[in-house]
Amino acid sequence: MSTSTPTVATKGAAGRPRTAAPGRRAGRPAGRTHKAFSPWLFLAPGLLITLAFNLYPFLATVWKSFTDARTLTTGEFVGFDNFTALVHDDQFWVALRNSALYVVLVVPCLVLLPLLLALLVQRHIPGIAFFRSAYYTPVVASVVVVALMWVWMLDDRGFINGVLHLVGVDPVPFLSNQWLLLLSSMALTVWKGLGYYMIIYLAALANVPRELHEAAEVDGAGPIRRFVSITMPSVRSTMVLVGALSSVSAFKVFTEVFMIAGPTGGPGGTDTTLVMLIQRTGTGLQGRTGYASAMSIVLFLLTLVLMLLVLRADRKDKD
Amino acid sequence: MSIHRSVAIRTAVGLGAALSLTLLTACGGGGSGKGSATDGKVEGEIKFQTWNLRANFKDYFEGVIKDFEKANPGTTVKWVDQPADNYADKLSADATAGTLPDVVNLSPDLAYPLAKAGTLLNLDKDKVAAKFKPEYLDGAWQGFDMPGLEGSYAFPWYLNTGPLFYNKSMFKDAGLDPDKAPKTFDELFADAGQLAQKGKATLAQPPTVEDFGRYGVQIMSEDGTKFTFNDAKGVEFLTKYQTMFKEGGLHKQALTLTAETAGQKFLQQEVAMNPGSAHDLDTFKKNAPSLYNSLGITDVPTNTGKQNMYLQGLSVNSQSKNAATALAFAHFVTDQKNQEDFGHKVAVFPSTKGSLDKEYWTKADGTEEGKIRVASAKMLPTAVNYTPVLFSDEMKTILRNETAKCLQGKESPKQALDSAANQMTKLIQQK
Repeated sequence: MSTSTPTVATKGAAGRPRTAAPGRRAGRPAGRTHKAFSPWLFLAPGLLITLAFNLYPFLATVWKSFTDARTLTTGEFVGFDNFTALVHDDQFWVALRNSALYVVLVVPCLVLLPLLLALLVQRHIPGIAFFRSAYYTPVVASVVVVALMWVWMLDDRGFINGVLHLVGVDPVPFLSNQWLLLLSSMALTVWKGLGYYMIIYLAALANVPRELHEAAEVDGAGPIRRFVSITMPSVRSTMVLVGALSSVSAFKVFTEVFMIAGPTGGPGGTDTTLVMLIQRTGTGLQGRTGYASAMSIVLFLLTLVLMLLVLRADRKDKD
Repeated sequence: MSIHRSVAIRTAVGLGAALSLTLLTACGGGGSGKGSATDGKVEGEIKFQTWNLRANFKDYFEGVIKDFEKANPGTTVKWVDQPADNYADKLSADATAGTLPDVVNLSPDLAYPLAKAGTLLNLDKDKVAAKFKPEYLDGAWQGFDMPGLEGSYAFPWYLNTGPLFYNKSMFKDAGLDPDKAPKTFDELFADAGQLAQKGKATLAQPPTVEDFGRYGVQIMSEDGTKFTFNDAKGVEFLTKYQTMFKEGGLHKQALTLTAETAGQKFLQQEVAMNPGSAHDLDTFKKNAPSLYNSLGITDVPTNTGKQNMYLQGLSVNSQSKNAATALAFAHFVTDQKNQEDFGHKVAVFPSTKGSLDKEYWTKADGTEEGKIRVASAKMLPTAVNYTPVLFSDEMKTILRNETAKCLQGKESPKQALDSAANQMTKLIQQK
């Protein structure tokens, strides 16, 4: 006779043996009630935070975009008035142009340059760890502090113009010319983003089979041919990801332009970006939060469309 | 769905949410509930908020608070000082959350939206507060009258006309008399032309709304319903500024510099003149001794004979749980004794009646600062707050951007001012 722990073995509906713990009523699946809500318990903290800090503000912004709300008043429903006003707002079009320019000029740089940098630091040569760290340093540095340093360097009497002066070149008006201000801000964004995307590419490059390069080398392919025919196709998905991420960042650029072109957004506001305009319109004691929300919605939709286009192109390419 | 698509869509949705988060502060409606009676017992704890004063006047304020608590046993005053940057955003966040301090330091333009939202006590309509009205200069009390809202919403506190600093060495190098600073805008433009010939800029910022006022331009219509600075006088003023910019009288980066960075250009002796405050003297002494040694202090040029009056006040939160204590404290800080004491510590002027007749503000003590103090005090009774109470930060940016377009030659002075006035009038009509 067996002396092991007593269990109650029964037959399930399908004839499979089912085992219940002692004292538990036969016919009720073990732990089903517990299992039903336990995932929600684990999800609850994150879900609540997401609802409170992501979904609610988003829905509130959508609602506000249809009102004439101000900072201290909830406002009344005005239909599409804010969106109609946007179409006739010159400053909005200037801001949209600048944000679009930012995407067009910055994104290709942030897709390509970090890849080249990653290829450079991927090599196992003495002291390369130092360069990897050095290229990553701008990512962890405060953008405000870094931007201030750039302003000092780009000043009429700054380091760069000082060097140009030594070689007999007249001062370049980096901080007073509308286009140079925007380009300087873009350069800062690219410089600051290089290290971050470089790390992403380093991870992707580690997965590229070395044999492919060796085989191509044996077949006489040079470094450029190998880069175009092997490296780029191998990290194509990562390039799409970097393109998508940097597009979002470029569209919502604020600090770099604010710090370099000033709070007014360059001379006459000509360098204002969409997020700067949203901040300027929607904050302060008399901020037009309804109108600023409408701009936020437009920015969101534009970003979403851009992302979908990038992903569609990627899928088409894969097919 | 590919992982990239998932990441991308999440990122996009996150972006929208993140952007909207910046607007979350606008969800409230200016607090709720009624405050306590102002004629109740002076007791309990109140919160007192100033901006940008702790660094230099900690001892003074702690002394005033101690005196008040001693004179009113059972009271506690908790003092908080906010940085000047984004003070308006801090106030709006507090007002929407219903956590505005009991006594708040405000300028008239900051007080207006709060008063309109019903968060500030109307002193004229409050029988306890109204009794104190005769203690203050009429002009100062009226400085907190809000268009469209009957009554005054703050106890007047300190006044200032704001000094203009100039570099005597640069004046001398340009062949100008270093002891004769420009008093009118015509003199300013003439001096700027002479300095520009020597390759030196005079100012580091385009004209502000106060400058238009000092030139004699009517900023708003009498009824406060539209901006009128785009009249012939305004166009004449901006045309002269445009000429000055073309000649090099304004710093090359003037169109993008902030008040702070413009101050740095003066510190680096790249411009000959810059408006500032008494706090700047210490900065010059520490960081630019050579500038300090050739520093001239004068009043800002004016064609009207009237200086701009910068006014600060103390408002009482209409929803204060200890309104009687808050009111008593706001009056205590702004009474004659405390205002005069504060005026002795820093180059500001009391707004209480009779204070400016005291010897300290009528007789120079032989120092440069003393001379300026007496001269400025003389101008105060006629000084005007040229900045309309309705003038918001957004309007400031509009005026600045339109004048910048004009100075660059992209728009004529008339076009620029018409555009600015129309945009700003539209904003006040939307309210």
